[in-house]
Amino acid sequence: MFGLLYERYVGNIYNYIYYRTSNHHDAEDLTARTFYRALKHFSRYVDRGAPFSAYLYRIAHNLVANWHRDHSRRQIISLDELVTRMPRREGPIALAEEHEEQDWLLDAVRRLPPERQQLLILKFVEQMSNVEIGQVMGRTEGAIKSLYHRTLVALRKELVSEENGREDAI
Amino acid sequence: MNKRRMAEVLAAHAEGLTGGAQVMQRLSVTAEERNRLSPLLQLAEHLQQSMQPVQPSAAFVRSLGRELVDNARHQISPAKRPRRTVVIGAAVLGSLVSIASVVGAIVFVVSRSRVRAQARTLHAPAAG
Repeated sequence: MFGLLYERYVGNIYNYIYYRTSNHHDAEDLTARTFYRALKHFSRYVDRGAPFSAYLYRIAHNLVANWHRDHSRRQIISLDELVTRMPRREGPIALAEEHEEQDWLLDAVRRLPPERQQLLILKFVEQMSNVEIGQVMGRTEGAIKSLYHRTLVALRKELVSEENGREDAI
Repeated sequence: MNKRRMAEVLAAHAEGLTGGAQVMQRLSVTAEERNRLSPLLQLAEHLQQSMQPVQPSAAFVRSLGRELVDNARHQISPAKRPRRTVVIGAAVLGSLVSIASVVGAIVFVVSRSRVRAQARTLHAPAAG
């Protein structure tokens, strides 16, 4: 039973942790710890109507929070990692520009509060519906929609102020 | 446009981006609304392009799967142990009870036949 759940969700949990930590090594380590912890408490798991993935995401979320507390450091994405996950355009200049733009956007996402990062990862990486996100985050569908709105507004403010800062520096 | 309407339109747009139903059309978003929300809609599109799923390595998935199976086996063994002890204990107790009842029955039969024999001896007419 646990084996099936592992196969079903290992990719999702890895993705979630990868976007929160931005490196493969820590993503593997924390994914393993998430499943070990879930297995340890599996016999005591009570089905309250939410999918099992909600339980796994909660464990992963807590482990990532601890990881950030322990490693309060600036996250850096390697160029290799960016190349593997981005759509390709023709030409090295376009590619470099795309890297820079994407790096800038993902850096801004990483400066958002954890729950807003979680929302964006579940929505865009895991491609969950608002109802599913609500089940994972323990909120209603309406609350998720409002949080998404506030998250986009905050992210845009962050990007605009950073862009203004860059222009001032030039 | 109030905040609730904005949240609805943005949520519908995001669902459309991630392959969900085209809720935007059903919401009948006006050109003015679209213009007003344009920076946020564009930002959502950038996020969708930048946040692509990644895959864990197959070797990692296999090895973690194996480790979890081994770990689960070790976890199950101690849990099964008390149950096994209870079953064996009950079996031993059951055997003891049945042995005791057989012994009891034998003792009862023997003592009863002795009593009968004694009674027969007492009540028997004296010979000669």
